[in-house]
Amino acid sequence: MTDEPRVTMPITAEGTTFPGPLPCGLRCIPRGVDELATEHLVLNMGPQHPSTHGVLHILVELDGEEVIAAEASLGYLHRGIEKLAESRRYHQVPTLLDRADYISGLHSETAWALTVEKLAGIEVPRKASWLRALLMELNRYASHLVWLGTFGMDAGAMAPFLYIMRDREMLLDIIEAITGSRMMFNYVRPGGVAADLPTGVDAKIRAWLDVADTYLDENDALLGGNEIFRLRMKGTGVIDRATALAFGMTGGCLRASGVDYDLRRDVPYCAYPELDFEVPLGVRGDNMDRYDVRVGEMRQCIRLIRQLIDGMPEGEPSGKRSRVLKVPAGESYAAVESPRGELGIHLVSDGGFTPYRMRLRSPAYFNLAVVDEALAGGLIADAIVTLGSLDIVLGEIDR
Amino acid sequence: MPATQPADILRACGIPFEASTEALGEVVRLDADRIADALAALYESGYDFLVDLFATDTGERIEVTWHVRAFAEHADLYLKALVDYDGAAPSVWHIHPAALYPEREAAELLGMTFTGHPNPKRLLTSDGAEPFLRKSVLIRTAEEVRRPS
Repeated sequence: MTDEPRVTMPITAEGTTFPGPLPCGLRCIPRGVDELATEHLVLNMGPQHPSTHGVLHILVELDGEEVIAAEASLGYLHRGIEKLAESRRYHQVPTLLDRADYISGLHSETAWALTVEKLAGIEVPRKASWLRALLMELNRYASHLVWLGTFGMDAGAMAPFLYIMRDREMLLDIIEAITGSRMMFNYVRPGGVAADLPTGVDAKIRAWLDVADTYLDENDALLGGNEIFRLRMKGTGVIDRATALAFGMTGGCLRASGVDYDLRRDVPYCAYPELDFEVPLGVRGDNMDRYDVRVGEMRQCIRLIRQLIDGMPEGEPSGKRSRVLKVPAGESYAAVESPRGELGIHLVSDGGFTPYRMRLRSPAYFNLAVVDEALAGGLIADAIVTLGSLDIVLGEIDR
Repeated sequence: MPATQPADILRACGIPFEASTEALGEVVRLDADRIADALAALYESGYDFLVDLFATDTGERIEVTWHVRAFAEHADLYLKALVDYDGAAPSVWHIHPAALYPEREAAELLGMTFTGHPNPKRLLTSDGAEPFLRKSVLIRTAEEVRRPS
């Protein structure tokens, strides 16, 4: 101890203090407890942890409550989807991709269809493009709802999750009526989609659209309208523009850092060139910005779904599809804007019945790589929230 | 396209390469040892975003692909280099930190190394797992694929 005590007191040979007059009636000189060594603690978060959004294992090095370093340990959900695809025919691959990003399977299915169509030169009817866009937007909204609910839970708000899951149920009912499944769709195929809109689903979507805005406002008021929640989000988990770009982040996380990039607008596919929507942007790249950008995206989703259902063209939902698809030798890459960012599929074909190599460029995989940069310097409680704001899906990260 | 073509940038640095326009887009093939120099030069000229990095087993060697993007112009470029089985390519994490995960993944799944990687641990598989993205590792025969039981 180098600090001089504020009150000079006579000290005995043994080091004990004389009972003498102390200021303010203190019982002893507040020297603290000596010899208490402080060391960094390495804490295992996960793989079984309610706020790691799947089976993610994060090692955090802590100094008290402050995070010094963090590292994600992946692979608990690795099923080798890329290898499995090499022994599946082109029509069988979407079933695997549904299980990659299990919250928004229609996006990976569409990315696959676009990649195969690009290489094989298959034309897609206009109706199929519109159906794909409609389903992708419904799926994006459902996926963002899961994020919104779990994000609230990460911050300690349990009630919004229950309301949000009620809203998601309406959407899953609609998606089930169209595709036949709630989560593992296998609906988008190279050449088109599996089926047209069934009778009556139009009214179902409109009934949802009537309440969607109100529900979203309510949910947003419960979370984003809460002063405590806002104070906690502001200024935590800051990822600046340069870091976001360096780590290959895409989607809402990148836009929250102020990069104006959305594949739907900048590299248009499906029906998006004909649609009117805005791309919400953030400024600081903190948790609040990521929240605002995603909620803004949900509002744009409702707008897009309304346009898609109003302008749905007539026609066949699929072009002529051969039973066994053979793709000429070569390579192609196509990407869609999934709820998490740029979901791209790189296909290498040798001209056979099966893909020679399929590479899934998973957006959450790149978004997660930033954890070390984003968590270090913050508090352990903020680490949970920051991780939640990245909107990761482990099925897609581990593949 | 960016003001400067990728071919001009690489030529100015004296890096030998072979450029072609394929179904995939603009592809540049070069030696694996020069990849870090090439990416650094391209980074300075606007190709500052690494979209993806992955490796493919061609049957004879491993082909590594670096997919970079000039963000401002939406121009994509693919760099490809061949590496021997159990061979090495330089890590490019100091130019693109986004390469940290995919390099670890390619290393364990194809059985190669990226020299200079700061944390060359396995990413997805556990110790002892074979590099199963190699074509020599079979999970289903060609006959089974053609006639699924």
